[in-house]
Amino acid sequence: MKAVTLGTGILAGVLVFAPAGWAAYQAGDVKDGGSISGAVKFKGTAPAPKKLEVSKDQEVCGKTPKTDQSLIVANGNLVNAVVTITDISKGKKVEAKKVTLDQKGCEYQPHVLAFPAGSTVAIVNPDGILHNVHSYSKVNSPFNMAQPKFKKTMEVKIDKPETIQLKCDVHGWMEGWLVATPNPYFSVTDKSGNFKLTDVPAGTYTVEVWHEKLGKATQKVTVKAKEDAKVNFEMAGK
Amino acid sequence: MAERGIDPIEEKKSYGSVFLIGIVLLVVFSLWAFWDDNITRRPWKAIQRRFHDLDYNKAKAAYEEENKKLQADANYRELYQKFAAAQESLRRGELGKRLAALERQEDQATVRFREIDQEVKFIKSELEEAWYEHDHAVQQKRNPQPYLQRIQELNKEQAKLDPQLEAARAKREQIKEEIKKIQSGVKAIEDELSKVAAERDKWVRVMENVTLKLGPVSFYKIPKIEQVSLDEFDRNRFDQPVARVDRCQTCHLSINRPGFENEPNPFKTHPRREVLLADNAHPPEKFGCTSCHDGQGVAVNSVKQAHGEVHYWEFPLLRGAKVQSSCTSCHLDAQGLQDAPLFAEGQRMFEQIGCTGCHLVQGYENIPKIGPSLRKISAKVDPGWMVRWIENPHKFRPRTRMPNFEFKPDEAVAIAAFIWSLSKEEGDQWRQQHSLPAGFREGDAGLAAKGKKFVETIGCKGCHGFAEGEFSTTVGKQKDLVPNLKDIASKTGPQWLYHWVKNPRGFAPDTNMPSLRLTDDEAMAITAYLMTLGGKPEAAPGIQEKLADGNNIKRGESLTRKYGCFGCHDIKGMEKESRIGVELTTFGSKTLEELFFGNRTDIRQTWDDWTHNKLKTPRIYATERVEQLMPQFNLADEDIQALRLVLAGFRERKVAERYQADRGQQVVQVVEGRRLMHQYNCVGCHVIENRGGFIRKYYEDRPTLTPPVLSGQGEKVQSPWMFSFLKAPFPIRPWLDLRMPTFGLSDQQTNLLVAYFNGLSKVGIPFAHFDEQNVPRENLEAARALFSKEYFDCLSCHQQGDRKPEGPPEGWAPDLNLARQRLNPRWIVKWLQDPQKVQPGTKMPSFFPGGPDNILGGKDDRQIEALKDYIMTLGKTSGNAGAPVARGKTAGR
Repeated sequence: MKAVTLGTGILAGVLVFAPAGWAAYQAGDVKDGGSISGAVKFKGTAPAPKKLEVSKDQEVCGKTPKTDQSLIVANGNLVNAVVTITDISKGKKVEAKKVTLDQKGCEYQPHVLAFPAGSTVAIVNPDGILHNVHSYSKVNSPFNMAQPKFKKTMEVKIDKPETIQLKCDVHGWMEGWLVATPNPYFSVTDKSGNFKLTDVPAGTYTVEVWHEKLGKATQKVTVKAKEDAKVNFEMAGK
Repeated sequence: MAERGIDPIEEKKSYGSVFLIGIVLLVVFSLWAFWDDNITRRPWKAIQRRFHDLDYNKAKAAYEEENKKLQADANYRELYQKFAAAQESLRRGELGKRLAALERQEDQATVRFREIDQEVKFIKSELEEAWYEHDHAVQQKRNPQPYLQRIQELNKEQAKLDPQLEAARAKREQIKEEIKKIQSGVKAIEDELSKVAAERDKWVRVMENVTLKLGPVSFYKIPKIEQVSLDEFDRNRFDQPVARVDRCQTCHLSINRPGFENEPNPFKTHPRREVLLADNAHPPEKFGCTSCHDGQGVAVNSVKQAHGEVHYWEFPLLRGAKVQSSCTSCHLDAQGLQDAPLFAEGQRMFEQIGCTGCHLVQGYENIPKIGPSLRKISAKVDPGWMVRWIENPHKFRPRTRMPNFEFKPDEAVAIAAFIWSLSKEEGDQWRQQHSLPAGFREGDAGLAAKGKKFVETIGCKGCHGFAEGEFSTTVGKQKDLVPNLKDIASKTGPQWLYHWVKNPRGFAPDTNMPSLRLTDDEAMAITAYLMTLGGKPEAAPGIQEKLADGNNIKRGESLTRKYGCFGCHDIKGMEKESRIGVELTTFGSKTLEELFFGNRTDIRQTWDDWTHNKLKTPRIYATERVEQLMPQFNLADEDIQALRLVLAGFRERKVAERYQADRGQQVVQVVEGRRLMHQYNCVGCHVIENRGGFIRKYYEDRPTLTPPVLSGQGEKVQSPWMFSFLKAPFPIRPWLDLRMPTFGLSDQQTNLLVAYFNGLSKVGIPFAHFDEQNVPRENLEAARALFSKEYFDCLSCHQQGDRKPEGPPEGWAPDLNLARQRLNPRWIVKWLQDPQKVQPGTKMPSFFPGGPDNILGGKDDRQIEALKDYIMTLGKTSGNAGAPVARGKTAGR
C-alpha cells in the first residue's frame, strides 16, 4: 500500500516549486534609475538645545558637555530627520548591513541610526563603565541588555521594519533612535539638511520625513529615468 | 362433472393481479420504510456524509500539497530512488537471488537441526526411563547396576550428539542473521523514507479513516451516532447520580480537530481548542459538550431539538458568551479563568455594585456592606445635599454605585431626617473633638496648589477622579468604584475633609479608604485643594426643622426598613436586619413559570429577556397590585449582559466531584483574597493577574514612575516579609512619589492577601530558608567581583543601605540590603536569568547570558548562583534591614 502511494507520488512528481511571495518589497536590478534629493528645513526659529545635566559617572560622561539632541537645527536645516520612501514595492537590492552605534562619552552616536531591516547593529561601549541598552520596540522583540565595562561590543539584529527608541537606564539622559526601514531607500539628514535617495526606478512614490520631535510629513514625488527629482520639506514645531 | 367441494369457476379464477399488486405494494412500502428509517428520519447521516466528503477532500488537497513539496526535495527523491532500487533488487535482482538461496539454505539447516534435536529428545526420554528403572530397583532392593550401565551409555550418546546440535543451531542462526541483514538494509531505507514523508503520509491515514474498502471499491464510512456518556454527571430529582448522554459530536465531528477553523458549523473546530479541549481541561470524550453548552444532548433528529431550542426543554443551547455562565458549575475560581472574561467582569460587578446587600447568594454571604457607614453622617455632609442625594444620587454623581430609589422629595426628607436623628449625637461629639487646625485658611490659592500637587503625585488618583471624566477603577462600564471628587466642596466641609484624609479610620473604622500617612501640613494642603472642587452647598431653607420633625423621622424609619438601606450602609440599630430581596442562589434555574412578567406582554417570554429587562428597568414588572422595590442602577447593556452570565450561573446543579476543577484550600484563598483585594482596590495602582494598574494612564510618558506590577508577587517575595509590609508599608522604591497606603488590615485579612498572592503563583510552601552559614567562600568572592565597577557595577543603580547611587532618585533601583528578608532566593535566580521575562519593560537590564569569562569558569549559572548567595547575605550588620522602619529623607512616604 505504501509502495503504491509513494509510486503515485513519483508519477505526480512534477518539479514545480513556487517561491513564497510574502515580501512586500521585491528587490532586483535597477536600470536607468532616477534619484530623489532635497533638503529638510525647520520652519521658524528653533529653540537653543537644552543643556543636559550629567548627574552620574562625571569622570567619563562629563568630559564633553551634553545637549539635548532631540531637535537640532543648523542654519535652518533640520538635522537627524529620516527620509524614506514608504510605498515602493520594487527596487534595488536590500543589503543587510552591519552598522555601529557608539556610546562614547555616554551619548548615542549617531543619535539617529537608520538601516534596512535585517541588519545587525554593533553597539560599542568604549567608556569603561556600565551602560545598558533598553529598546522600546513593539514590532521587534524588545530588549534591555546590560553592557558592563568588559563587554566592548554587543550585537543585535533588527529583523522587522520599525522606529525604535533606545534609552540607557543607567544614564537617564541618554536617548537615541534606531530606524529599521523596509527597503533600501533611506537617508538621515546631516547639518546641511540634505538627503538623496539613489537608484529609484521611474514611478511615483510617497516620500516621508520622520523626526522624533516633529513627527511625520509626506509628499508625492514622480521620478523619471536617469533624472533627479527634487523635493523639499519644511517641518514646523508642534 | 363437478367434484364435490370444488368450484370449477373459482378454480379457474386468476389471483395473479392481486398478488402482483400485493408484491408491488410490499416492495414499495419496504423501500419507503427503509428510506424513511434511514434517510428522512436520520438527517444527521447526510451531515456525516457531508463531513466525510469535506474531510477526505481536505486531506487529499493537503496530501497533494505535501507531496509537491516532497517531490521538489532532492533528498527525498534520492532516498526514494534508493528505496525503489533496493526493493527492485530484492524482488528480481542480485539481492533477490541471494535471498532465495539463503532461504533455501535456511530450510535445509532447519531440517538438519530438527533431526538432531529429535534424536536428543529420544535419548532424554530413554534416560528418564532408565532412571526410573534404577530407582525402582533400589526401592525393591534389587541390583541397580545394569540400569546404571544403561544410563552411562545413554549419557555418552547424548554427549556425542550435543555438539552436533549446537553446530546445527549455529548454522541456522547464521543464515537467519544473513537474511535479516539483507532485509534490514531495505527496511532502514524505508523507515527513513517514511520519516521524511511523515507530514505527507499522515494525510493518507486521514483519508483511510473516512473510507471503507471492499476489494477494489472504496466508499465513505457508514454514518453512525457518536455518543459520549458522562457517568454520574447529573443528579436527578431524587438526588441520585445519573449519567448524561451527549450525541453532539454526531454532527460536530471535527470539534476537537485542528484544520477546520474556517469551516462553517457544524464542522468548525472549537475556538481555542488547544487550551479548552486539552486533556487537562475539557477533553470532549470526558466532558461531552452539553456539560458547558447545555442543549438536548441526546437529540439528533433536528438541529432545533438537539440545541434544545424547543418549547419544553429547559436548558437551551448557551449561545455566544453565555456559555461562560457554565464555568462556575465546576470552577470555584471562575474569575481566574482566561476564557471567561465577561463572566469575570460580571462577577466583579456582582460583588462590587451591592447586589449582595439585598440578595442572599450562597458563596457571597460575607461580602461587607459596600456603602459608607452612616453612624456619624451628620458630621460629614451638608443636610441639604443629603436630601438631594437620597432623592436621586445619579443627579450629583452619575457614575456612583448608589442606585436611584426614585424617592419623592418628601420621602427623601423623611429618610434623611431619620438617618440624621440617629447620627446627630455621635456626629456632634466628633465635630467637637476634631476641630480644623488654626492655620487653615479657606481659599488660600497657594495652599490649594500645593494640595493639588500632592493629590496628583502621592497616589490619590489610583482611586479617585478629580475632574469630569476622570476615573480609575470602574465597576462595569459606567460606574466608579470610588467616588469622583469633582464637586466635593458642595457636599462636605473642610473640617471633616481634613480629619478624614489624615486618618480615615478615625472617622469610620470599617472604611476601605486607606491612610496615606499624611503630615498635618499635607492634609491641610489637600483639604484646601479639595475645597476648590465644586461650589458651596446649595441652600436648603428650613432643612434643619424638617430633619428634626418627629413625623418625618418616624416615616423615614419605615422607609429605611422597607427599602433596605442597611443592606449597603451601617445604620445604628439596624445591624441585624436581614436582606430584603429574594435569594438568588438558584436564580439561573428558574423556569418561566417562576418569573413574574406582570402585565408586560411586549417582553419575550424567556429567562434572558426577563432578566435583561429587570436589570435595565428594575420596576418594569410592577402592576397596580404588585409593588417592586428594586432601585435603578443605570447599567450599560454590556454590563447587564455580564451580570446575566453570573445570574445564569446560579444554578441548581451538583456536578459530580470527579468533573470539578480544583477546590482545594489554595483556590478558596485565591477567591477570597481576590475579593478582599478588589475591596481595597489594589488594582487601582497595581497590575495584578494582568489587570489593573489604572493609575498608569497618568504616567504614560514616565512608565518607570508607576507602582510595581504584582504579577508573580507570591513567587517573588518571602511571605513573612509580605505580611509585615502589608501591615506597615514603607518605601522600597525611593524614586516613587507615590505612596503605598496603610490599609489598617487585620491579621486575618493580611494573611489572606499573602495566601492570595502565593496561590496565584502556586507557591506551595510559603517559607524559604537560606543557609547563610554554608555559602561557599568562592561564591562570595566571585559575586563581590561581579558586583564591582569592573564588572556589573550593581551599585551604579541599586541602593545598598546608606550607600546611595549617583544621580537623581528616579534612576535608582531597590535597596539590595532588603533582599535577604524580602526576596525569595529562587526568584533572584529567575530574575537574574532574564529580568524582562519576569517583568516585561523593567529598567533592570539582562546581564546574562554573557557573564565574564574569567569568573567561576565563565559559567553563567554559577555566576547567577553566586550573586544570589551574595545578595542574600547583604545587609546582615544593619540587623533589621527588612523591618518596617521609615528611613532617610524618604520617611513618611
